[in-house]
Amino acid sequence: MSQTKMKPRVAFFDFTGCEGDQLQIINLEEKLLKLVEIVDIVSFREATSAHSDDYQIAFVEGSISRDHDAERLEEIRSNADTLVALGSCATIGGINAVRNSQDFDTVQKRAYGDDADRIDSWEDAKPAAEVVEVEYEIPGCPIDKDEFLRVVTDLVQGREPSLPKYPVCLECKLNENTCAFLREDICLGPVTRGGCDAVCVSEGTRCWGCRGLIDNPNENAAFDVLEEHGLSVEEVTEFYNMYFGWQQTAEVEQ
Amino acid sequence: MKILAKYEFDELVNKWIAEDPREVVGATHDGTKFVFDDIDDAEELRLDYDLTMLSPKKYFFPQRERLVQYDTNENDYAMVQDWSEESRIIVGIHPYDLVAIEQLDDIFIDAQGDEPYRRKRENSVLIGVTMQSVSEHSFAASMGTARTETGYDLLVTELEDTYAIEIGSEKGSGLLEEAPTKEASLEEVEAVEEQKAAVESKFEKGIEFSPKQLPSLLKEGYDAVEVWDEYADGCLSCGTCNVVCPTCYCFNVDVVDYMTDEVGETRRRWDGCLLEEFAAVAGGENFREERVARHRHRLMRKGNYLYERFGDIACVGCGRCTKQCVADVADPSEIYNELWRSVNA
Repeated sequence: MSQTKMKPRVAFFDFTGCEGDQLQIINLEEKLLKLVEIVDIVSFREATSAHSDDYQIAFVEGSISRDHDAERLEEIRSNADTLVALGSCATIGGINAVRNSQDFDTVQKRAYGDDADRIDSWEDAKPAAEVVEVEYEIPGCPIDKDEFLRVVTDLVQGREPSLPKYPVCLECKLNENTCAFLREDICLGPVTRGGCDAVCVSEGTRCWGCRGLIDNPNENAAFDVLEEHGLSVEEVTEFYNMYFGWQQTAEVEQ
Repeated sequence: MKILAKYEFDELVNKWIAEDPREVVGATHDGTKFVFDDIDDAEELRLDYDLTMLSPKKYFFPQRERLVQYDTNENDYAMVQDWSEESRIIVGIHPYDLVAIEQLDDIFIDAQGDEPYRRKRENSVLIGVTMQSVSEHSFAASMGTARTETGYDLLVTELEDTYAIEIGSEKGSGLLEEAPTKEASLEEVEAVEEQKAAVESKFEKGIEFSPKQLPSLLKEGYDAVEVWDEYADGCLSCGTCNVVCPTCYCFNVDVVDYMTDEVGETRRRWDGCLLEEFAAVAGGENFREERVARHRHRLMRKGNYLYERFGDIACVGCGRCTKQCVADVADPSEIYNELWRSVNA
């Protein structure tokens, strides 16, 4: 019976990002009550002022983009048995990593103007796994609430959490969506990891790739499709860079 | 063969909507495309459609379906079968989709005894329609599926101001009982035959050989690497061609608990052999790890494997995979023709 089980102690932390993934957890509403039945939340800045460094599972949101971030993350890593990266920024660099391919001085000036010199940021925004060992990742911008609950439940039950390996296209077809390409739009659904129930295309827009590339994307084929739909090489690269930038750089370095 | 004026047919459909306990669904337009969906009025029917996004198989084998709910809190460890048994009157099914449903019946009901499928299928009524428009992607005529004499409960053919209705079963004739039908004249029967023949000449695409030759062609062409590679190179492996296919029947079952190990459910959802994980098994082995092996597998299955097992050519030539494939590498007629040329070269 669940009452006799030890509830794992869980903590949430945020780095460079909008905290939108933690907001999704607050947005669980009645399921949030279910969540606190199976875990003890000991630190969660968005929801409680209580804090403890004694936890087994740490969820970290945001990308890592300065020394201080790295130091904090290392400390969290040493406290936690299991570290889970939450959201696009923590898993694949996210929107922050768009700047990685741009001139850093320009980026700093654009963001902070005359105060740019006072910012000690790294030139690259990095996913958590670039800095410390990360056991599991929950991608998305923001995360899918049900997927988060599934991962938490898996961890509590002692199962290995896993992410879908199929692309967004599959869920689009199951939902009987009109393909973005068939309505003269463009889309990254064919190479983006599914699991979001194709929410963006279902709402009439396109997939921007926030859940990152699938494990073995046929990128040449995806490039060809986008070019056939009128995008120049530069435009395809720009479209890809919004969320895939870090993964692609990592691939080239391998 | 029976004749109903068009307005009488609409009144009949509206009567089913109002009085029949079964839900009435049909071919309709959702604003951007043709789909099978619920209809509230016969006016919503679009019997002139060329191709719907998904086939009506979704009514017997839904994209996602809960199978069993379990609760181990109960002393008797309750397991509840939990699929829907809802049956429907489905209006406006093209012949190739009727053929596809006949194949699925063989597999789900006769071969597998799949209760969730059977319960929904058994009390449903299939109202076929003779094609009026042909999709540019379709090659059903060359597969022999642009017309059919079986698989329907009723088959509707549009004449000028009337519909000619052929009876395929007692379930079908029962639905006509209270309608003011007239017996078709000899000329009207001939007109229906002419319509069906005329449709077959509207197809732009076709396989260049007999579908009877397909199983042998695929056996001979299995190692025609250059053909398979050509298409697999551009394949995104997204599974779209599988899930829009009216004869694909693979599914994946997940056990999902409700945040406790005591209560949960099993669910199935459509799966596809193009997806990387499809042939992966415990221990990390994957029988079709290479994209080209998966791409070939689909075409082997449609034209050879299922024939060997059930006697069916499982490609009915609807063209859905061709239309929905963004990489344009799924068209079975194109690939089979190229294989034909390669083997005969």
